[in-house]
Amino acid sequence: MTPYPVLTTTTFLPLVGAALILLFASERLARWIALATTLATLAASLPLYLHFDKASSALQFVESAHWIPSWNIAYGMGIDGISLPFIFLATLLSVLCIGASWAAVQVRVREFYTALLVAETAMIGLFAASNLFLFFVFWELMLVPVFLLIGVWGGPGRVYAAVKFLIFTLSGSVLMLVGIIAIYLTCGTLDFKALALARANLQPAQQGWLFAAFLAAFAVKVPMFPVHTWLPNAHTEAPTAGSVILAGILLKMGAYGFLRVSLPVLPHGVQLFVKPMLIISAVAIVWGAYVTLVQTDVKRLIAFSSVSHMGFVTLGIFTLNRSGVEGAILQMINHGIISAALFLCVGMIYERTHTREIKDYGGVAKTAPVFSTLLALFCLAAAGTPGLNSFVGEFLIIGGAFRTQVWLGTMAVWGVALGTAYLIWLYYRVVMGEMNPGLAGLKLELNAREIATLAPLAVLAVCLGLNPDFVLSYLRAPVAQLLAGGVTP
Amino acid sequence: MNRTMMSDLALLIPEMILVGMALGLLLIARRIQKMPVALAGTVLAAIAAALASGWVLSWGSQTGFGGMIIVDGYSQFFKVLITATLALVSLLSVRSFDGEKIPRAEYHALLLLAATGMLLTVSAHDLLPLYLGLETMTLCAYILVGIRVERPTSNEAAIKYFLLGSFASALLVYGISLTYGVTGTTDFAGISASLSQHGPGSNLLLLAAIGLVLGGLAFKIAAVPFHAWAPDAYQGASAPVAAFLAAGSKAVGLAALGRVCLSAYGSEAPVLSAVLAWLAGLSIVVGSIIALSQSDMKRLLAYSSIAHAGYALLGLISGTPEGASATMTYAFFYVFMTLGIFGVVIALGERGEELDGYRGLAAQRPGTAVLMLIFLMSLTGIPPTAGFAAKFVVILSVVRAGHMVLAVLAVACSVVSAFLYMRVAVLMYMNEPQESAPARLPVAVFAALAAAALVTVIGGIFPGRLAPWVVSP
Repeated sequence: MTPYPVLTTTTFLPLVGAALILLFASERLARWIALATTLATLAASLPLYLHFDKASSALQFVESAHWIPSWNIAYGMGIDGISLPFIFLATLLSVLCIGASWAAVQVRVREFYTALLVAETAMIGLFAASNLFLFFVFWELMLVPVFLLIGVWGGPGRVYAAVKFLIFTLSGSVLMLVGIIAIYLTCGTLDFKALALARANLQPAQQGWLFAAFLAAFAVKVPMFPVHTWLPNAHTEAPTAGSVILAGILLKMGAYGFLRVSLPVLPHGVQLFVKPMLIISAVAIVWGAYVTLVQTDVKRLIAFSSVSHMGFVTLGIFTLNRSGVEGAILQMINHGIISAALFLCVGMIYERTHTREIKDYGGVAKTAPVFSTLLALFCLAAAGTPGLNSFVGEFLIIGGAFRTQVWLGTMAVWGVALGTAYLIWLYYRVVMGEMNPGLAGLKLELNAREIATLAPLAVLAVCLGLNPDFVLSYLRAPVAQLLAGGVTP
Repeated sequence: MNRTMMSDLALLIPEMILVGMALGLLLIARRIQKMPVALAGTVLAAIAAALASGWVLSWGSQTGFGGMIIVDGYSQFFKVLITATLALVSLLSVRSFDGEKIPRAEYHALLLLAATGMLLTVSAHDLLPLYLGLETMTLCAYILVGIRVERPTSNEAAIKYFLLGSFASALLVYGISLTYGVTGTTDFAGISASLSQHGPGSNLLLLAAIGLVLGGLAFKIAAVPFHAWAPDAYQGASAPVAAFLAAGSKAVGLAALGRVCLSAYGSEAPVLSAVLAWLAGLSIVVGSIIALSQSDMKRLLAYSSIAHAGYALLGLISGTPEGASATMTYAFFYVFMTLGIFGVVIALGERGEELDGYRGLAAQRPGTAVLMLIFLMSLTGIPPTAGFAAKFVVILSVVRAGHMVLAVLAVACSVVSAFLYMRVAVLMYMNEPQESAPARLPVAVFAALAAAALVTVIGGIFPGRLAPWVVSP
């Protein structure tokens, strides 16, 4: 066993850092404290990877304590193979966010890093929570820091984007609250493990309503078509770190919710809704890709591509077969890595050019070879090129989709083709061709800090592409358990 | 005096402490107008009364004065809450005397007497002391609202409040007299015993009586449709007095409603729960929506407090002890977050009374802005603040009672109110300041804010630390 409660430490360490910054630090010191905190958090989570038992589908590193005895609600932490990769992603991306904001954020520095660290606690906590109440607390805790990140340090349309983000996500999550309360009253517990047994108390019709209530929260977060409209605003206006957190982690919270709550606890609800879910996922893939094609703003383009890519994820989950679900989880990790990297790349170049319009770019490769190489790598990865990480996830999802319905697989393939088109076209317009005269004289090449920020993601994109078993080996046991739990397509 | 009289009087020690301090302050009023003696005296009396109420309860739950006064866990809970409100409001009042011709000693004496009425109300076990306590409270409140005599708005608010308040008192008294007519008693236990003899809903006169009593009490908590006084009174009153009304009056009204619904009229549960469900639903919807269009901060908070009255009522709908304790939890946390947000309004002075005054506050006073953000989050019901715990228990109670539609309506309106509260956050964090930075906080105001923030945060993270002493009537 480990000498300290790993999950609790990992979760709340950022909060300690946030308190330190808020109470004591000067602006200069705030950056360093934030960096040290996120690195310490990453270090504190190391035992999770060293001592993890991949063969077990049960929750591991379980911690529990009395919390609100009068309501029969305990504090519970625990992870399985599905949550572990997300904790890794959250801790890693937090470090990179600090790196990306080092020079970009110059106003209200202390508040910025406080918000960032509070968001980190919420992200890690959500994936580590072993009961629904704690899950909801972290779910909502995420709201205000991200609202502030978008609204205070964002672009010109930041206030509208922040309020839209808040109202959309809150509308979904309050319905989830009613669902949680209904489950609590029927089953008498909110613990995930106990719920898997107590779910028999939930009548099939009731499960349908509950699924809809949770769907409201999860669909907004994913975001699924047609409640995705907050996403382009929020991702585009957010500062780079905000976009990274949004695209890298926040979008995964919804899909993780399906895996953690809907599938194991509400099998009848899933059965009732599986067809519409598959259809809107397929629509999101193709429709999202077409909308992405016509975008003229780099950041908005990447934002819309998330709608399409997250469509793959929900498609994979609701195929309800092993290939699809494993692919969906892998794809979530992949998308977390790649979209974060793309937003980082865009943010870095934006700091120099102060424009996001594609037509203002061109020929960047001539002065910024390293940037162009990295961007090429990430664009190819996002397009699903074999040998890079997204390929494996998309391949598994498409395989799962074909096994369910041939036309679903066809739609997904169509989406991949369109994805290649918009990414390559983006790369062509920004990096290749003649140098845009507007860029003349700008020092576009990345500095060492920026390269160091992007390098881990590049390494991950290649490694996961060559050896997806890094992640897949963790998923096998819990996904098998998930699908054996009575959910059939 | 015989021994029963002595032991009866002993039950009223907390009330007597407050009255004693009020009379003492009035006696030496002329000598202490320039000093914070009245403040210190009020805070001390509040603490003493809270401790005394605990001491009195330690002799065991009992009734006195022929069953008119009860000392039990329920009354003790609200007594602590009321005395805390009294102490925090007097701390928040330190700025009220700058540039206003408000007599310090009299102001504090009125606060103390109003609090005495509140204590009496929550320990009433008979409709008559309930009415007496409420009238004592309201009479002092009328004067407190109009105490800034040189301001026309303050006078207008006091008159409006008085007229509507008298109307509500009349409703309450009429309801009491009808109840007496039907049951032959005003004692809660007696009413309950008499009602249990015939089936629920059989006596039309009784239903009218219940409707009138509930209406009179709904006025005190400003539930729709008895809410019209609140926005005007809050706007015309000084911010600490508005806070006192929003926190204290509401807590007491809820306590009285809880007691009346469970102890006296409990056997008419179907009617009660229907009336309460309508009161709650209307309050939540009307309060949340009308608040959106307000630009005066105190008016905005008045409408928001109307919505919160609705949320608090959700607990009582079930008519069970669990439901009542949900309402108590809501009342408890609501009091502190309301005092906190009014505290920020007070801390900013004139600037805090306009919504636009919050522009750019985070750049000028980051600490105050963070406190404000905590209170706003709590009022919205976002974890990990106390407001979430409070909302969780009342919605739990209303779902348990089977009112699914009301639960969904309540959470939907919390999104509407999120828009409202987060608009203040937007102004604070996402706008540039237009006015010069506000003056530094006086120590007393800071202490009150810190206490309110502490309860709001700790209550959110460990609601169970407070829940064990939540008991039902």
